[in-house]
Amino acid sequence: MGELVKGRVESSLPGLRGIVADDKDQEHALVTREGPTKGDAEIDQLYAEAEDKRLSKTSLLLDVLNISNVLTDGVSAMVDDSFNKCFTSTRPEPWNWNIYLFPIWVVGVVIRYLVLFPIRVTLLFIGFNTLIVVFLLVDLTLMPSKRKMAMQRKLVQWMCSAWVAAWHGVIRYHGPKPTPGKNRIWVSNHTSMIDYVVLCSYSPFAVIMQLHHGWIAFLQKRILSSLGCLWFNRTEVNDRAVVAARMKDHVNKEDAIPLLIFPEGTCVNNEYTVMFKRGAFDIGATVCPVAIKYNKIFVDAFWNSRREAFGKHLFRLMTSWALVCDVYFLEPQSIQPEESPQEFAGRVQAMIAKYANLRIVPWDGYLKYYNLGEKNPGLIEKRRRVLADVLRAYLGKTSAAPSAIALEKEGKAAVELQSDGKGQKGEVEGVALQGWRKLCVGGTVHPV
Amino acid sequence: MGQAASGGLTQGDVDEVIAASKGVFNQAEIESLYKRFRALDRGHKGYISPEEFLSIPELSINPVAQRLVRCCECPNFTTFVKMVAPFSPRASREDKLVFMFTVYDVDGDGFISREDMSMMLKQLAGSSLSEEDRQDIISRVLAQAGGAERLDFPAFKSALSSADLGNMVVEIPVDL
Repeated sequence: MGELVKGRVESSLPGLRGIVADDKDQEHALVTREGPTKGDAEIDQLYAEAEDKRLSKTSLLLDVLNISNVLTDGVSAMVDDSFNKCFTSTRPEPWNWNIYLFPIWVVGVVIRYLVLFPIRVTLLFIGFNTLIVVFLLVDLTLMPSKRKMAMQRKLVQWMCSAWVAAWHGVIRYHGPKPTPGKNRIWVSNHTSMIDYVVLCSYSPFAVIMQLHHGWIAFLQKRILSSLGCLWFNRTEVNDRAVVAARMKDHVNKEDAIPLLIFPEGTCVNNEYTVMFKRGAFDIGATVCPVAIKYNKIFVDAFWNSRREAFGKHLFRLMTSWALVCDVYFLEPQSIQPEESPQEFAGRVQAMIAKYANLRIVPWDGYLKYYNLGEKNPGLIEKRRRVLADVLRAYLGKTSAAPSAIALEKEGKAAVELQSDGKGQKGEVEGVALQGWRKLCVGGTVHPV
Repeated sequence: MGQAASGGLTQGDVDEVIAASKGVFNQAEIESLYKRFRALDRGHKGYISPEEFLSIPELSINPVAQRLVRCCECPNFTTFVKMVAPFSPRASREDKLVFMFTVYDVDGDGFISREDMSMMLKQLAGSSLSEEDRQDIISRVLAQAGGAERLDFPAFKSALSSADLGNMVVEIPVDL
């Protein structure tokens, strides 16, 4: 997955294809391998400058009627876009296509589905259920005590190991094993729910997870809660303060079990990484990064929750030869004096991206669920204002710097324009929520 | 080559689509566009709804996103390909101009009237351009483009005769 795709160089400003960009000019890159380089205001400014470059400013007819650039941007995004690339799995080239290899492949399939799979399922069934029973026994019979907690943690660790064995996991752990410590929080890139299992079978963690449905919910509530796992709903996550308070609470406990956060907020395909949310970086704790890289040689561990049910995902894992994975425990990082939490998040993301060989993409993972234009009408307005200024120049009027009130009015007007007058009032946060709710209702949006 | 065109695309379909788009795409590009269409069409309904288009972040920050998306109401695959066709490197200048004209002609009556231009300018230049200035601009444009009250396609074409449309090309990513 390189930068050049058949001679096409990716523009450094997402969504702006029509311009002749100085792509080699690293200064303009929004995100380099070292992390995000620009703040929001600067990014808006870059877009405005790019728009300005595209206008002729000499011919009124051209500037008004020649919409080729903006149309090219639009259609280009329809055909391919960098956000979508984060959630696609590339299908491996079939290698079984000749008379010699095909029978071997068939034998392989037979073994995997008819021999390995039943064995694994049986062992898993026995092992896992035994452990659950023991766990519930311990839970119900013993009084809360340090020993009980230690036993429960050990049991959960064994349960996860049982699962890893069921997938025939070949996992290499690099770096020092995590030890619980006050005011520490662990962050990792996210590919699938099995990330948690892979980590937990080595060293127990608590997580903040989306509460699911069905049998997973039972597991989550009954067993993982004992580890101190925290649950949320995506609606509640918008209330950053609540989650932040819970996190702070947890890391300040004396013998707190290490808390693991997935700052991307959603499963990504292990080739890219989307924006790290700053929540975990904002609570004043030391951040211990973990990088997880799956080797796709036998199976692709990415769980595309919109294409695949979790059960099917597990089935796929259990009918492949092995699950190969590298886990890197990296050096703990603290926030530097002049760093903002977002910059801190970016720096840690760059570290993880380097070890796990991921490309950083400047989009928010939650974009899967709502419309960026609605959430950030300021950017569109800035771009529009560039043309407005040029047109006013033709009329002989110079543009005055807009007042704060005028800007706010423009922002609201922009939101109305973008939503085609569907009457979305309120602040930007409210708009985002409504946009997401709008997509949720009547759609099959999986929580992850 | 590559894997079989996924789910439901037959050679007959491909031929039909190639014909409908005047042959600007080859087979590999059609297959690639089909994959993209399937990825965007989340419910596998056979068409792409405006919300699905606008969930593409790079499209949603486009000033004329709304117009583009409404321009082709819920396209099925053939319509989708026809929409992308003018952006193929093999498309003619005429095709590109026709597409631009279709987008600009909001009410679809074959003429770009004052109302059409007003709507487009609202999307292009936003609300920082006052109504009065907007009407002023429109008057000037109409005057410079031949003096009629509305633009037909030949007038539009000649107004853009000096425009370089070489950038109006979108490359379809094709896996080999």
